[in-house]
Amino acid sequence: MENEKLVILGGGPGGYSAAFSAARKGFDVTLVEQNKVGGTCLNAGCVPTKTIKASTEALQVAKRMREFGVDFDGNIQPNIEAIINRKSKVCSTLRGGLEKTCKQLGVTFVNGRGKFLDNRTVEITRVDGTKHQIEADKIIIATGTRTLQLPDLPFDHACVISSDDALEITRIPEEMIILGGGVIGCELAGIFCELGTKVTIVEGQNRLLPIPGIDESISALLLKELKKKKVKVYLNRTLEELIVQGNQASCTVKDSPFNPPAKQGKDIQLSADTLLVTIGRAPNSENMGLDKAGVTIDERGWIKVNQYLETVTSGIYAIGDVLGPHRYMLAHVATMEGLHVIEELTKNKQKMDYRVVPSAIFTSPEIGCVGLSENEAKLAGFDTETETLPMRVLGKSQAMGELSGLCKIVADKESGEVLGIHIASAHATDILAESTLVIKEKLSIDSLVNTIHAHPTLAEGIFEAALAMKERRNNNE
Amino acid sequence: MSKKELQVPENNFYTEEHIWVQQLDEKSSIFLVGITDYAQNQLNEIIFVGTPDVGDTFDANESFGDVESLKAVNELYMPVSGEIKAVNEELEDTPNLVNQSPYGSGWILQIEIDELTSIQNLLSASDYIELTGG
Repeated sequence: MENEKLVILGGGPGGYSAAFSAARKGFDVTLVEQNKVGGTCLNAGCVPTKTIKASTEALQVAKRMREFGVDFDGNIQPNIEAIINRKSKVCSTLRGGLEKTCKQLGVTFVNGRGKFLDNRTVEITRVDGTKHQIEADKIIIATGTRTLQLPDLPFDHACVISSDDALEITRIPEEMIILGGGVIGCELAGIFCELGTKVTIVEGQNRLLPIPGIDESISALLLKELKKKKVKVYLNRTLEELIVQGNQASCTVKDSPFNPPAKQGKDIQLSADTLLVTIGRAPNSENMGLDKAGVTIDERGWIKVNQYLETVTSGIYAIGDVLGPHRYMLAHVATMEGLHVIEELTKNKQKMDYRVVPSAIFTSPEIGCVGLSENEAKLAGFDTETETLPMRVLGKSQAMGELSGLCKIVADKESGEVLGIHIASAHATDILAESTLVIKEKLSIDSLVNTIHAHPTLAEGIFEAALAMKERRNNNE
Repeated sequence: MSKKELQVPENNFYTEEHIWVQQLDEKSSIFLVGITDYAQNQLNEIIFVGTPDVGDTFDANESFGDVESLKAVNELYMPVSGEIKAVNEELEDTPNLVNQSPYGSGWILQIEIDELTSIQNLLSASDYIELTGG
């Protein structure tokens, strides 16, 4: 691979993981990023939301100090400027790490925008306006996505805001309407209600997190937890008649055209100083000369690739979020896709394996899911068996004062093979890796039961759920 | 709590799922619904009551909410079919009203019953006492 030129467009987790792997294998790598290295994940997604959430969790603990036997007489209140500054510092530290790795590995990082001139030539326009061309042997497109706005009510970044804006906010909104109860909407709802904002979520589908892999029991639990925090949630509903006057957004909550209810609901008037639109993401695939390279996109702009992640043009690959929602728009999937493509470039072609993809959702409580939801397993033809353990039965949950949550195991009834594990609890995302391995290795609940789980830990929830299922199976034999 | 102290008001109706139902007044189709003294005693300290929204409609035996204690989460099942007319908003901040006064300030919701006669299918106080080992 010595001196083989690889150009990667997009410096998010997919792009930089591919760049580092390729550099280690001897490629001459140029990594092009028009914004900041780290992409959406590090600058406007995973990392900043988790950093801000760490602040709201600290706030939550502070408010509960008495419950833990700690007296405090002072004022407890969030300082949004300090919270955002902390977030910026964390992101900057992590970006610094990536920039350093680029240097160490000899990856040429260019802050600019790449455009195909043909199937091998990329013209790069740096942020200072200067241009240069690179003849590449191989090219990876990892340009990701951007926030999707309402066609009739574009972001004004003050009253009508995107998730990007929410992570740079300089004031705590008094009232916020969140359009879209998906992952981003629910995570930000949790953050803003902790900051003291009166939050309303409007979701067009019949549940929060309406994603096939998210078990309905998890959606129901999240709905209840948000309700406890006085977040108002409208399901099967959509917003119409949206207008902004002064610094107030007004709208009418109407029945969703996607999921019309059996009984017509009443129209409800809402207004708030902030309307957060989290209706999805749009691909960064335009104005980059894809047609000149022969790369094809679907009608919504998502780049088409085969099972080896190669576009219709030989030698040009695409990875990450720009492949669209029919794959997985997750940072860790983009990383694996990036590494996979580099493996392909150096060894034989192999299909990317999407069988077992864990999801980490940073609501309160956190959600960690892997494998099939009960509904998915049934649709896939499995005769399923499930066990749901309320996390509050665990000593660790009681000790931490984190009672809300569940651990649900979906298994094949006959073999006991674990098909899915769905956890909502404190640190659910951190205890998920075991479940991912169990499902990837096609292990049965016996493997979980026969593995010693440290006590007292939240991971015992998985063990206890498996044990309950095994005991029931034994009794039924 | 000993069995003697367990309250089962005579004029209420009950379900096997430990729900009580009480007609607001003689002619009304609106009924108060809550959980019994026995249930709150079994659950111990209640920390959250999940209630439906006003205007929601339910069939009998359909789950309409839940009660959370430190130890457990228990689903609540609708005793009769009807439409929710009111929910006890006090429970949002003071869920342990259900412990303190399960038949009084710890009521959960008001429902307008679809068919008044359906109330006759429920348990009487004496039936319920028998059920709970009275």
